[in-house]
This record gives sequence, structure tokens and C-alpha cells, in this order.
Amino acid sequence: MPGQNGERFHAATSLTDAIAALADRGSAGAALAGATWIMRAPLRHERRDLSYVAISKIDELRRLDILDREISIGACVTHAELASSLGSLPECRALAQAAVNSANPAVRNVATIGGNLCASAFAAADLVPALICLDAELEIEGAKGSERMTVKRFLEVRTGIGPDRLVRRVIVPRTARRSAHIRLPLRKAGDYPVAIVSLAATLNPTGVVESARVAVGSVEPVARRWEQLETSLVGHSLDPRRAAEQAERFCGDFLGREGVEAPGWYRVKVLPSLVRRAVLALQEQS
Amino acid sequence: MSLRLVVNGEDRVSRAEPLTPLVDVLRDEFHLTGAKVACREGFCGACTVHIDGQPVVSCLVPLGMVEGREVRTVESLAAAGELSPLQRIMEEHDVVQCGMCFPGILMVLTSFFREHPRAERGEIKVALVGNICRCTGYERLVDAAVALAKRS
Amino acid sequence: MAIADPSNVTMNLPRRDARDKLLGRTRYTVDRMLPRMLHAAILRSEVASARILKIDITRARQMPGVRAIALSEDAPGMHGIGIADHPLFASGVIRFHGEQIAAVAADTYEQAQAAARAIEVELEPLPIVLTMADALAPGARLVHPDWKNYEVLFEGGARGGNVAWEATVVRGDTEAAFARDDVVVVESCFRVGRQNHVSLEPRAVVASYEDGRYHIETSTQVPWTVRNMTAKLLGVLASQVHVTVPPVGGGFGQKFDCTLEPYAAILARKSGQPVRLVYSRQEEMLTCLCRENAEIKIRSAVTKSGDIAGREAVVLMDCGAYGGEQIFLTTMTAHTLGGNYKLGSVKLASRAVYTNTPPNGAFRACNGVYNTFALERHTDEICQAMGMDPLEFRRRNVLGDGDLGATGQVFEGDVLGPMLDRMEKLREASHSKEPLAGGRLYGRATVVGTWFIFVGPSTATINLNADGSATLITAGVELGQGTMVQALPQIVAHELGIHPNDVIVRNADTDAAGFDLGVGGGRTTVSVGAASLAAAADVRNKILHTASELLQTQPERLVLRNGRVEIAGIEGSGMTIAKAVQHAHRLTGPVVGSGSFTNPGVPAMPGCAAGHFIDAIDIPVFNVHDCEVAVDPDTGHVEILSYKVVQDVGRALNPRAIHGQIQGGVTQGLGYALHEEHTIGEDGCIRQDSLETYRVPLALDTVPVEIDLYEGAPSIGPLGAKGAGEVPILNPPAAVACAIANATGCRVQQLPLTPPRVLGLLLGREPAVELPHIKIVSQLAAGLPPAIDLTPFRADRF
Repeated sequence: MPGQNGERFHAATSLTDAIAALADRGSAGAALAGATWIMRAPLRHERRDLSYVAISKIDELRRLDILDREISIGACVTHAELASSLGSLPECRALAQAAVNSANPAVRNVATIGGNLCASAFAAADLVPALICLDAELEIEGAKGSERMTVKRFLEVRTGIGPDRLVRRVIVPRTARRSAHIRLPLRKAGDYPVAIVSLAATLNPTGVVESARVAVGSVEPVARRWEQLETSLVGHSLDPRRAAEQAERFCGDFLGREGVEAPGWYRVKVLPSLVRRAVLALQEQS
Repeated sequence: MSLRLVVNGEDRVSRAEPLTPLVDVLRDEFHLTGAKVACREGFCGACTVHIDGQPVVSCLVPLGMVEGREVRTVESLAAAGELSPLQRIMEEHDVVQCGMCFPGILMVLTSFFREHPRAERGEIKVALVGNICRCTGYERLVDAAVALAKRS
Repeated sequence: MAIADPSNVTMNLPRRDARDKLLGRTRYTVDRMLPRMLHAAILRSEVASARILKIDITRARQMPGVRAIALSEDAPGMHGIGIADHPLFASGVIRFHGEQIAAVAADTYEQAQAAARAIEVELEPLPIVLTMADALAPGARLVHPDWKNYEVLFEGGARGGNVAWEATVVRGDTEAAFARDDVVVVESCFRVGRQNHVSLEPRAVVASYEDGRYHIETSTQVPWTVRNMTAKLLGVLASQVHVTVPPVGGGFGQKFDCTLEPYAAILARKSGQPVRLVYSRQEEMLTCLCRENAEIKIRSAVTKSGDIAGREAVVLMDCGAYGGEQIFLTTMTAHTLGGNYKLGSVKLASRAVYTNTPPNGAFRACNGVYNTFALERHTDEICQAMGMDPLEFRRRNVLGDGDLGATGQVFEGDVLGPMLDRMEKLREASHSKEPLAGGRLYGRATVVGTWFIFVGPSTATINLNADGSATLITAGVELGQGTMVQALPQIVAHELGIHPNDVIVRNADTDAAGFDLGVGGGRTTVSVGAASLAAAADVRNKILHTASELLQTQPERLVLRNGRVEIAGIEGSGMTIAKAVQHAHRLTGPVVGSGSFTNPGVPAMPGCAAGHFIDAIDIPVFNVHDCEVAVDPDTGHVEILSYKVVQDVGRALNPRAIHGQIQGGVTQGLGYALHEEHTIGEDGCIRQDSLETYRVPLALDTVPVEIDLYEGAPSIGPLGAKGAGEVPILNPPAAVACAIANATGCRVQQLPLTPPRVLGLLLGREPAVELPHIKIVSQLAAGLPPAIDLTPFRADRF
């Protein structure tokens, strides 16, 4: 059933309005950010008969604030805006690279960070592993207040996040780290990647890795951290070859998803070379 | 319900459902058939138009999200009947073949050149990754775009 | 510098349709709208093989907006090429996933879709024949149990069971050649997938029914085929069908058949309103008339000195559920897989095989593309086995003047040899791109190819107008290739001494223009061009005759140039053509000319070819392509570093336009070589249903092609021209595959060479293609090497 006034589309004017409209619609409603995923629902043989609450005109959700200790990214910030705002921040390079290379320019102008996080059937989402490796958190807003959670936690609960709550913003902590996002499309560009490695690391003054985050996207249905590899990187200087060797050792951690575009074994097999490229990219950021 | 938007500088009202793809409103209601429907999935770029100056694939934009915004289509590029410099150079280099992809390519490159008037060949090709052309093999239309960049 | 004579036939005439295309004003079929126009949707089968028990449209008929529903009883006829095996709607049996069951016309597309979904269909599932190996297995289920009763439209092919058609070539004694003790026998197997045209304009039609006739506006390459086939399917006279063709947004062979037009025609008659039917991209992906998947086994007996004493091959072409174009295309194996090289003896079999999969069709250079891939890879495998240099081997063996083709036709002129020399010059003129490979594997290959112009009948009429312009009326279609707006007006203008811009070209209309085979096979410049030239010559004679009386000068002393009839050698003499035409109006009436053309029919050697639609090729077209690649050993990604083409064009009427065709054709070929493939799931459904999973080349996936046009090879085309648009796609898969094999040292047997496949080859995890279902008759007992079973099918064997 559509909302109280029978409309299938409501352009929310404020966050409060959006949450009220979503609460009102219950399970018959859904938030609509950039719409690029939902508009393709019929092609995936999915329903598109919900009552949609458009949130893209809510100013607060479109803000991107670079603060001293963190970056606050509203759920409706587009990939293009992310790329242009973060391009100059070395500690966010992975996220900027993820944003600037995803899909194609005309889609990047519309597709949002919130949509990318919420599209649970979209294994190849670029921003997700980038956000994981940057230790980003999400703020979920609902009628009963807000809740902050890690991206990992969000990915676990996102399908049951409830009809009356929505992603308000993404918070990326600012620390002195290097990061890179290495995606592997089958063509040169314009594809969804078949595998993604996002890497962030902090180095001590002598160049030894103090902490590392590696996130792997598109290989399995949901992006996740590669903890074994992270541990093996810590305490060593950035060495692409060694990192690739370590990745080779721990590849068994992943079971690649079979897809029309690539077999599961392939997604896993390319991981060491993506790790090598990621470490090399970090090396070049000195 | 009805919904207002500005199309090629004119105030327009559409009576279509808010989830109707913008491209269908432009083509079926306003008879602006320049934007083409070739995939409805955001990969071919043939339906590219500008919304508030930014190129977007109009097959994935629901009408409801365009309320009050400014839409420009390929039909608006030749102001007062004069081909735009980009259109002119494509004509001069004789790079058009079947032509279905060109409305989208022109809209993408028009906004791209606004921001990068002296773009290099490689940058132009990167800008075009969302536009499928099945006839030309791209390079000759990229040659024309490069020639335009060199003029500025 | 002298100003070029505008009527000079060779020129870079720009396209006249470019401006409106750039303005977004061109109205393709998908842009057509008529008052009261309805929208149609098709109900398609979601299973690949089933018996239809019941179809109930009661509920659908009552749905909002519904105006007409068409079912199999509305289209009693069967169509096909060679064999009439294809009904418009599945009748009684479903043979492929996506097969049409019913068509609905309603006020909106959504209403039509909803009503189509509301049609109740009761099915009883049947086993699926999924692959050609399944289809040819002993005791295989027959896709067409009734095949013997189908109408045969073209005699000569062997048929039987799931083999829809077989064409064979036997020249010389291959058994003796393979039995020689001084030969090395090399055998190769190849497999390729399906390629989708992805024309940006999908198949689309608007049909009306007026004054007892059907008017079909459609995005087609073949207006006359649409006219005749629609009539046959609907069971009406062909003269009741009128076809016109707006500008076409790409065809590449997909629109070389009548497909969706009859549905719209039936619905228009039943509803009394115009009906628009446009296939969605998903429908186009799932039911496209693809370049077929195929399997090739080829072996050669080569002497120590490098002569090919004997060659045998079998090609299996998956025609899907209905024979369609593949039946015709079995012909092309002889001229492609059997082409390029001098063969002491040759035995070929080319079989179109029925499966429960979506039907296939024609695609730019058709099976020539994969046959050339197979032949060139096989050639490199021969060279490897014998330790010969691949370029030297090719130089030694390519067809030259007086050499025999596979079917025994005598080739005229040395063409491929000199083209190889030109390629060598092209290679020398630019540095190797090997340094760009960096740490990746580098490879290079030069390959050759033989294709042909599909000639056949065309006709043209020219009205020479009183303003000095000429109106050219043909059934040719402008798909984007440019022939209708460039080569044809150039040819006519040259003959009439006017500027090409003064030649008006009428859009195809079967009520205005006479019969034409259609646009495809590189035939427009040649066949429509020759007919147009003949019509222009007719007009020329008439106007010279008229002027001759006025100028009191013998016609032989008059020339047409710069829009004038002049006395030869006296510039500015005589009168304008317009004046002469005006005079003719008063004297003899308006000036009209007509011309017709058909192929002369080059002879093959009697008895060599069986089941062929074309025994010998009238106009061969040759290619030499060269490619450098870098292969990433970690990911299997292939980058094209450089690409070079020497193409036999006969005479280049519009060099710039030909360059455009070559760049575009090579890029499409690179797509087929590296990325594009439809595969079929266990349920018989195509797995790549979108442009997300079916990957065509994007701007970054191609390179500028370096081009050398080779002129002067013999051609019966007008002014020595050959069609140039189809052939550029012939060789890229061969060139890329050979270069990758050279780079990796791997045995490349399949296309496309996607990153997973290439990495699989490098890791040794890609299984070898062996094709056990292509039979080898063991002659080992007789002390002879194995030979491929080429015994022609006989109906009584099934």
C-alpha cells in the first residue's frame, strides 16, 4: 500500500519529513537516493512497486564536511562529488579512487554513497571496500533516534535495517595514513570490477607498517576485511612483492562468487596481484 | 499530479508518474527524441542529458527527482540554429555513422570540455567510457574532439 | 593547385545526414509516432523445450487498453532460408527460451506487457537439446521431428535429423594426400561463442493497415525480404505489403532478416490502428540473431617444403531452434576456411545444427570471422609443428593469379602477395610497440583473410530533374555505413557531370523502387552502385541525345561536366543540364533512366561443391592485418598495442569513409576477440541479458588503426570498387588470437580471449578443445593417418 495520501513518490524536504514518511509507509516504502539501482529493478526481475521517499533534495544529506578529525559525508553525496571533494586529501585516496573510477561519468553524477552502501545485492560496489579500509562508520537515523555503527556491522544488518530508518551520513576518521583502491574491471574501464582490493596503512617514520587495513570487494557477495593479510603486513616496510606472496598464502580465506562475467576462481586468483599493486601505490605516495 | 521542470530553457509541466524515467517524458510527452533509449541500464549513454548542467543518464532518473530542475537535451546545443563548435567539428571530420550514440556523446563532451577545454586524448577517452558507439570504433570521433581541444 | 572537379568520383564527400544526427533531429524508426498508435508487447516462452497444451487469452483480452491479440492462427505460414522451418509463433511446440507465443497491442506499452503476462499458457516440458554435441549424439531427440515434411526453398543441401543443412566441398583426393609419406599432418580444434550485434537502435517497427494493404515502416537492412516474408507468413499476396525504411540506427547483419515486422502487421490489421513494436535491450540480448557459436576441426597434410597437399575440415554451426541464415552460411566455409591458401586437395563439410536455443543469424562477415580465426591459428600451428616462419609460409602459399580456390574457381590477379609486401612496409614505417608492454608478455602476428562481396540483383531508377538535379530511387538502406549518402551519389554524379550534393537519394520504399537483395555483404556499393551507374548511363545517353540536337553536335563529342552539357575540350560551351532537361520536357518528356544488375556467376569446378548457395565468389576481398598485444600474466588482461590493416578495396571512392568503416569494423572484431560472448545456461536461456554482462568495446578498449588501402585488384564493381564496410571485422580475432598465442606460448583454441580465459590458459587450467563428437574415421588399421568423416549426410541414415 502506498502512503497515507496514496502517492507512490514523495520528495522529502527534511530528514524529519523523510523519516516520518518512511515510518508512515512501513514495509511498503523505501528511500530513494540517486535512484540508479532502484530504476533498474525491473531488469533484475525485482519489484519496483513500493512507495518511494526521495531523499536527494535534503540539504543535510548532500553535505560533505571536511573537519579536523573526520570527514562527514551525507548519504546523498554523489560519487562525482566525493571524487572532487576528496581528491586532494591523501588520507582518503582509496575513497576518492573508488569514487572516480566507478561505473561511468553520467552515473557517477547521480549515484550516491548511501545507495552504494544499501544495494545489498550489488557485490561489486566500489565504495564499500574503500570505506571499510578507512574504518568508516555510518550514522543511521530513525524515528527512535540515531545509531552509529561500523560499515562491517551495517553490512550484516542492512537488509533488516527497517522501513523507518535510513543512512544519514558516513563518517571517515582522518588519520595520517596512506590508502589505495585497486579495482579490476574486465575491460579497461566502464565495468563493474570483478575484484577489488582497498588498502590503508599507517607507517612509522622509518617506513614500517604500524597498522594496516585490507578490504576485499566483489570477490564474495559482501565486501570484507582480510585480517590475516593485515597482520602479516604489520611490522614490515611496504614491499609489493612480499605483500603479494603473503596474499598468495592467505587466498584460501576467500571463496569467489561465480558470476556470468567471471568464475569464482578467477576473482581469488587475481588477489595477490591486486595486493601488489595496492602496496606499490602506497609506496608511491611517499 | 503534475510536475514542473525546465526543459531547454522552457517551463514545462509533465503529467507522467513520478517514477517514469526522464527519458520517456522527454521523448513521449515533449517529443524531444534526440535522447535515445538503447539500454535502460545506464551503460550505453545514448540517453545522456544535462540536469543543472551535469550529464546524467536520463533512463535512470525518475521524473519526480527532476522537479524544478533544469534539463538540457541535445536539441538545445545548437543555439539559434548554429551548430555548437563540438557539433561543427564532428560534422567537419565526417565521423558520424548511424548516429544513435551521438546525442549522448555530444552531451557528455559538451560538459567535459566546459571543465577541461584543453583536454588530452587520453582524458577524452576516459570521459567517454559511459558511451557505447557500435559503428565508429571511437578513434575518429576522438580525433575530432582532440582537434577541438587544440583550438582552444 | 587545380581545384578538384566536383564530379570527380574519388573524393571525401561528407555525409549529408550527419548534421541532423548531430542535432538530434533524425527520426529513426524508434522515434516515429503516429496518431492513435498502439504499443505492442510479445509474450515469450520462459522454457526452452515444451509441448503447448493450452493458450487462453480470455483474461488478457479484458485487460485495460488492450486492442488486439495475435496468436499462431493469425500467421499460418512458415519462413526460412533454404528450408521453411520457422513459424511466426510457436505452434504446438516451444523450441527455444524466448520463443514468441503471442503478441498484444494496447494503448500503452505497460498495458500491452501486463496483458501479455495475463495470457495463460499450459506447457508440458520436453527434454532440451542444449549443445551441438547433444544434438549429434546417437539417439538425440529431434528438435524438428517433422523435418522431412518442411518445404525446401533451395535444393541441394544434405539434411537429416538435427542437421538442418550440410554443404560439402570435395576437390582432389585428400585421402591420398594424407597418406603420402612426405607430409606432416597437423590437426587443430577450435570453438567460438555467440556475438550480439548490439545495434544501438534495437529492432523496431511501426505498422499500419490502410486500403487493404500493410504499410510497414521498419528498421531493416532488407525491405524486400520484409515485404515477401511478411506476406508468406501472413498468407497474403506480397503486393499487399508496402515497406519503407527510415534512417537505421545500426544493423551489422542483425536486420538482414524479417523478424518483428509481421507481429506489428497482424496487430495493425486486427486493431485498425497503427502499431509500434520495439524490442527492449533485454529482448535484444536474449533473442538476437547472433553470429552463431561454432566448432571447427581442421587438419592439413603439409610437405616438408611447405606446400599444403591436402586439407580437411568440419565446421559445426549452431543455428539454434530454426535454420535461418545459418543454412545459407554453410556456404561460406568453402570460401573462408577453404580460402587464403593454395590447396593441393580439399574436403570440407559445413553443417548447420538444430538445438533448443535462440536462433542465430547474420553478423558482419558471418562465419568468415571465426573460420578465419581457425584457419590462421591452424596455419600458425602448422608453422610451429614444422619449424617454419609464419610470414614466409603465408607468402609461399597465399592465393595468386590463376590459383584454384577450394571449389575450383580460378582466382584472378596477384593480390594477397603484394598486400603482404605492403603490410611489411607499414610495419617498417612505425616502431614496434614492444617497449609499451613493460613487464607483460608481448606478442605480434600478421594474418591474411579472404572474404567476398555478396552481389546479386539490384535495380535503380534516376529522374533527371528540370533544375539539373537527379533523384536516385533504389531499395538501398542507410544503416550508418554511408554508402547511400556517399558512394552512390558520387557514382551517379560522376556519370552525370553534376555535384554529388545534387543527387537526391530517396529512402528505401518497396512501392517506389524495384527488387533488391538488401544491404549486407558489402553489396551496396557494388550491386546498388552498378545498377545506379547503369541508370545514370541511361539518363546520360538521353540527355546527350537531346542536347546533341540543340547544339548541332554529335553526342560522342559532348561531355557532361560541372552541371553542363559541353562540347568536348571547350570549357563553358554548350548549355546547362537543367536547360537541356527543360527542353526535353517539351520535346520527348521528362528524362528518366533505369538500370539493373546481377552477378555474372563465376564458375566453380563442376562437381566440387554440394549444398552451396554460392559455388564460387564473384568478387573476392582480401585482408592483411597485423596486431601487437601485451598480455598481463597476473590477470590475463590483453592490451592491443597497435593494429594495422591493408585492405583490398578495388578502388577507394571515398577513402575517408572507408577509414571510418575499418576503424569501426576492427573495433567490433576486437570486441569479439577479447570480450563479447553469449553463453547459454542449463535452462536454455542466454546468460548475458544486459550490457553489464555482455561487454562491447568502449572508448578505451580500442586503438587508432593504421590503414593502407590496396587499390587495383580486379573487381566487377562500378568503377572497380568493392564493398569496404563488411570485411574489416574478418581478421581481428585471428590477428589477436595469433598474437596472444605468440605472446604466451599457449595453444589458443577459443574466442573470446577474456581475462579469465587467458589466465586459465597461462595457468594450464583451461581444458583443451577436442571435439570428440566431430567424428574421426579410424584408418589406422589401413596404416593411414586418421581422416575426418566427411561422408555427406543422407536422409535415410536417420
